[in-house]
Amino acid sequence: MSAAAAQAPAGIAEVGIEREEHFTTDGQQVHAARFGMWCWLLTELLLFAGLFLCALIIRIMHPASVTATTTHLKFWIGATNTAVLIVSSFTMSGAIELSRIGWQRGTVRFMLATAALGTLFLVLKGYEYYQDFDEHMMPFLHGRRYALAQDPSTILFTDLYYVTTGLHGLHLTTGVSILLVMAWMASRPGFLQRHQNRIEIFGLYWHFIDLVWIIVFPVLYVLNR
Amino acid sequence: MTPPPDSLIGTIETALREPHPGRITIDREPDYLHDEHTLWSWLTTTDHKRIGILYLLSITAFFIVGAFAAGLIRLSLVVPNGQIFSNDTYNKLFTIHGVVMIWFFLIPSIPATFGNFIMPIMIGAKDVAFPRLNRTSWYIFVSASLFTLFTVVAGGVDTGWTFYAPFSTTFSNTWVVPALIGVIVVGFSSILTGLNFIVTIHTMRAPGMTWFRMPIFVWTMYAVSLIFLLATPVITMALILLVMERVFHIGVFDPALGGDPVLFEHLFWFYSHPAVYIMVLPGMGVISEIVPVFSQKRLFGYRFVAYASIGLASLTFFVWGHHMFVNGESETSALVFSVLSFAVAVPSAVKVYNWTATIYKGTLRLDTPMLYAMGYIGLFVVGGLTGLFLATLAIDEHVHDTYFVVAHFHYIMVGGTALAFLGGLHYWWPKFTGRLYPEAWGRLSAFLIFIGFNATFAPQFVLGYLGMPRRYHNYPPEFQLLNILSSSGSLVLALGYVFPMVYLGWSLRYGAKAPPNPWNAKGLEWTTASPPPKHNFETPPTVDFPPYDYRRRETRV
Ligand code: HEM
Ligand SMILES: [Cu+2]
Repeated sequence: MSAAAAQAPAGIAEVGIEREEHFTTDGQQVHAARFGMWCWLLTELLLFAGLFLCALIIRIMHPASVTATTTHLKFWIGATNTAVLIVSSFTMSGAIELSRIGWQRGTVRFMLATAALGTLFLVLKGYEYYQDFDEHMMPFLHGRRYALAQDPSTILFTDLYYVTTGLHGLHLTTGVSILLVMAWMASRPGFLQRHQNRIEIFGLYWHFIDLVWIIVFPVLYVLNR
Repeated sequence: MTPPPDSLIGTIETALREPHPGRITIDREPDYLHDEHTLWSWLTTTDHKRIGILYLLSITAFFIVGAFAAGLIRLSLVVPNGQIFSNDTYNKLFTIHGVVMIWFFLIPSIPATFGNFIMPIMIGAKDVAFPRLNRTSWYIFVSASLFTLFTVVAGGVDTGWTFYAPFSTTFSNTWVVPALIGVIVVGFSSILTGLNFIVTIHTMRAPGMTWFRMPIFVWTMYAVSLIFLLATPVITMALILLVMERVFHIGVFDPALGGDPVLFEHLFWFYSHPAVYIMVLPGMGVISEIVPVFSQKRLFGYRFVAYASIGLASLTFFVWGHHMFVNGESETSALVFSVLSFAVAVPSAVKVYNWTATIYKGTLRLDTPMLYAMGYIGLFVVGGLTGLFLATLAIDEHVHDTYFVVAHFHYIMVGGTALAFLGGLHYWWPKFTGRLYPEAWGRLSAFLIFIGFNATFAPQFVLGYLGMPRRYHNYPPEFQLLNILSSSGSLVLALGYVFPMVYLGWSLRYGAKAPPNPWNAKGLEWTTASPPPKHNFETPPTVDFPPYDYRRRETRV
């Protein structure tokens, strides 16, 4: 397909879903799938909530040492990453909008852009971990000296920082992988006719990962800084 | 050697050609059991009915394992000085018993079996909303629970089912980490089941099946699914942190490292108190089905029972602190949690009164399911009332961590949930299998279980009140008599459990064929064949009648 054709109505695919046999109407299937994702996100939210609760309680119990630790977290990398994820939410919404009107090529490109932003986040995060490593901020590495105060609660908060960002990173890695697979499938003919709503549902998940980071960032980096 | 008579060969030949003689195969879809025959077709099925049966088989296996451990515990307690097993073995035994019974039997029991099989039919759906996800959750359940079973049996874990820190994080030298990982993974199977049910109930109801035409069982499935979805992830996180603590010493629950062990208890009970309602709500749902049928009367106060289910599912999130009255909780929060725990008794009592009022002036039939249901009501009342004792601060100070607590929760979980499970199993057995079970045997074992249960657990109230702590197998000799009473009761109880396994198995082959509606019941599940066809109904149902649509007595005469 040439670039010109992609912008012309010829590049516009039909949009719809393929109905599974246990549903009576298309609307029912679409509703069920979207609702199912919302339920899943609710569960995920409570999963992270347990972690946030622990972090906040540790903050209340040991305000001084936690504040000392947060000043060592790389605020600007975290802030940049927040911006990166917010932009990626916009590109994801773009992909969804384009998939609704059936512009296949545009959809795929926006999905790839979203995946690229997600990867950028992970790269920046990796660089941040590298700096942490460099500054001897990894208490769980037994062979390596820990540079921050030897007060146990700083270690505890630093560990929680790894658990929280690690869990978020895991979600993001999953998200990027699914996104890449889906972009590949969407680049083939017929995907929008049969599975357009999968893009919408995935979009919910992506926004959720974004949202979780928007909570993680203040809870770990910003409060009491 | 004489050749077999012709007639025999003839029979064999017909049997080979037509495996189910006498069944009309021309204009009917084959039922879900005979649709395909291979083991492979069972393992790859997405049919909610078959998945329900798969769950039924697996949780029965786990029940047998858990019951076996319980038998050994009771054996050990026959003598006061704990000579029969070493202390370590005893600790591992009660951990096996608790872990298997709670995580692998009680929590999935009714939702995953009857919920999967019956609930979609009750609302007139062809299947659950996500059939493949449903199958996945069974696989998660089976693999994770077999893994955990292996670790607790082969390796051994001695923390009890509660995994309290700091014992589980610092002091225990057993296979805690693999067991935790197993329990974490099993949680996902609960979450996926809950998610599937909520979406199914919201989106898959048949035309005309409004919310207030749904049977109470469906309401309780909805309530339970809410708890699955909202509470399970919290314990997942708590257990993940526990694993991290053991492996990397991060110390969220370790005071020496700046953490707080009571925080673990908070997170644990924030799930595990709602989890006790995961266990008991479905039982309430089953009883609310059985009681109207065998009284041939509408369920008294249908809306109240429905609201009470949702009320319980919400209130249950606010009472977890009653497990920690004496474990480092401030007086103020203890007071608040005590009052809130009393509030939970209100919706529970609403249900009990409604069942009783349903029976009142009904046309009673004391068939097996009804015997179980009546047993349930009585035992649940005892369990719930003693729960109120425990929620009273002054009494709990005295009986916390004694056999009084053990008796309390067994009255609810065994006397309640397990009886409801058996009642439901008998009630829906014709629907599951297309066969009737021998009624006399059913009644006999219902009586045995009731008597055996009370003989086992009633003495434990006394023991606990007199001060016998739980989880010890050394006790002062003056407690021996009551312990022997309890252990011998458990033999009767065990016999009561063996009977159904035998005669239900027997009925699969020799039981009489069941009609579509052997009980004259009114739910949608009784309007389709027994066993149901693959897509549940020959023609998709439309609903224009209220639930429990039994004619009033006056109009029937
Ligand atoms: C009327 C509602 C109930 C109230 C007020 C209540 C109250 C309590 C209290 C205060 C305790 C803590 C006792 C202690 O450790 O000192 C307790 C323990 C327990 N309850 Fe209940 N309960 C109620 C219903 C239930 C139900 C419905 C179940 C189960 C299906 C249940 C299962 C348990 C279990 C498993 C424990 C002990 C957990 C452990 O420490 O291992 N309770 N209950
Ligand atoms: Cu509780």
